[in-house]
Amino acid sequence: MSSAIVVTSGKGGVGKTTSTANIATALALLGKKVCIVDADIGLRNLDVVMGLENRIIYDIIDVANGDCRLQQALIRDKRFEQLVLLPAAQTKDKRALTPDVMKRLVAELKADYEYIVIDCPAGIEEGFKVAVAPADFAIVVTTPENTAVRDADRVIGLLEREQVGSPRLIINRIRPQMVKRGEMLDIDEIVQILACDLLGIVPDDESVIKNSNLGEPSAMNPDTPAGLAYRNIARRILGDSVPLMSLEEKSGLWGRVKRLISGR
Amino acid sequence: MIVNSEALYETKPLVTVKGTRDGLLFLLDEQSDMDDLCAYVSNLLSGESGKVFDGPMVEIVVDYGRRKLTPADCNRILSLFLARENFVLRTWGSGTEARQSLFYRNRTTRRQTIYHGVVRAGEPLSFDGDVVIIGDVNPSAHVRATGDIYVFGRLLGIAHAGVSGDSSSIIAATEFSPMQLRICDTVSRAPTLHEQPMQAFMEFAYLDNGHLAVSHMRYFAQWEKARSRERETTQKGSRA
Repeated sequence: MSSAIVVTSGKGGVGKTTSTANIATALALLGKKVCIVDADIGLRNLDVVMGLENRIIYDIIDVANGDCRLQQALIRDKRFEQLVLLPAAQTKDKRALTPDVMKRLVAELKADYEYIVIDCPAGIEEGFKVAVAPADFAIVVTTPENTAVRDADRVIGLLEREQVGSPRLIINRIRPQMVKRGEMLDIDEIVQILACDLLGIVPDDESVIKNSNLGEPSAMNPDTPAGLAYRNIARRILGDSVPLMSLEEKSGLWGRVKRLISGR
Repeated sequence: MIVNSEALYETKPLVTVKGTRDGLLFLLDEQSDMDDLCAYVSNLLSGESGKVFDGPMVEIVVDYGRRKLTPADCNRILSLFLARENFVLRTWGSGTEARQSLFYRNRTTRRQTIYHGVVRAGEPLSFDGDVVIIGDVNPSAHVRATGDIYVFGRLLGIAHAGVSGDSSSIIAATEFSPMQLRICDTVSRAPTLHEQPMQAFMEFAYLDNGHLAVSHMRYFAQWEKARSRERETTQKGSRA
């Protein structure tokens, strides 16, 4: 049984593309056959995050127009045999890609791959409808900011109306120190407002930016907090029960001294 | 076939008792003999059946219909009612309000809806009549109703009651921290405390002389009673 997952958020810049790349990589690491579909036509950058931009010849619009076969457009990842990318078009007319065409493409991909991960464009217009149409379930990415939570709420409402199976939530870019000081929405509050299952939390991590500039998804490196978080998320998608990662600072020597002083 | 003559006789009792919002309403038969009526009342109140009326203080309304009563008759019947210590006579007369409300009530029924689920951001919901929402109303969600809005959950969005002009509509919620409140044409922002939206529980908002007021739900029953009385008089006014 293969399933199609759409990664969406409503608001731009909360980490949809990064999450898509990392979840797909982590699923591939666990030995699954995965295809990433970039549905963000016109503003493609999933290939950049994956470090595959120099290999693109055909894209999803070419496939939709029938200018090439689906297999010709798929780009094999440099790290994993079983991970491929279907890139978005940069300049072509995106009207060729309708929800029905998208459904057909994904159905075709499902024959060969266990997980189809679709990167959704920001916003809730036509591009969103196209990306969401073939999905079996949705992952909604949000950050602990009022604006992102508001948009996520709106998107969840739309997903429920489109009857995409109950959405699951990733809270991205959490800063434990700010949450502790009460300057950032905390996880419980967000989950309570959005009233949906929490798939995982990803701490704010500078290495994510560094890695995406290098074209190397963070999930490759489990020593970074974000990398570990994405691996945990992939395992939860497969049905494992993995506890949420603790956001406490690592206890180095200095941490131990501080704890001794504060008497905890 | 055996016909029980006594049962036949009792098909229409000489006194009909109804529970109304104004208290217990006693409707006295208009035709029967005065002595029969008094005997019936006395038996009803102090006989075996009188135990039904035992309990706390209760307001009563006695309506004697079109019967012509002499002052002596009045005294005779009233003394029977007032013999019961827990009865407080509220109205005595013919064609009392309570009697009319019995016949006119529920003529104009309001539509009532129960909505299950979370109302999410940007989701406009409109209802005809009163609505009970079982679930949260999230920030920037917008609920409109021509009647009252009751939220059985967190009201964090916008609620607009009395959309088509009913200024007696209210907005109530178990967790009451709305972004914006509207009743009729009056708009108000959420009550704030030190610039922060106040987190309040079990509150309801209503219009008080054109201004939005908020009270705790413990005062709602009292307020509701006054409102329905007011609605009835305006209803009656429009009928007349």
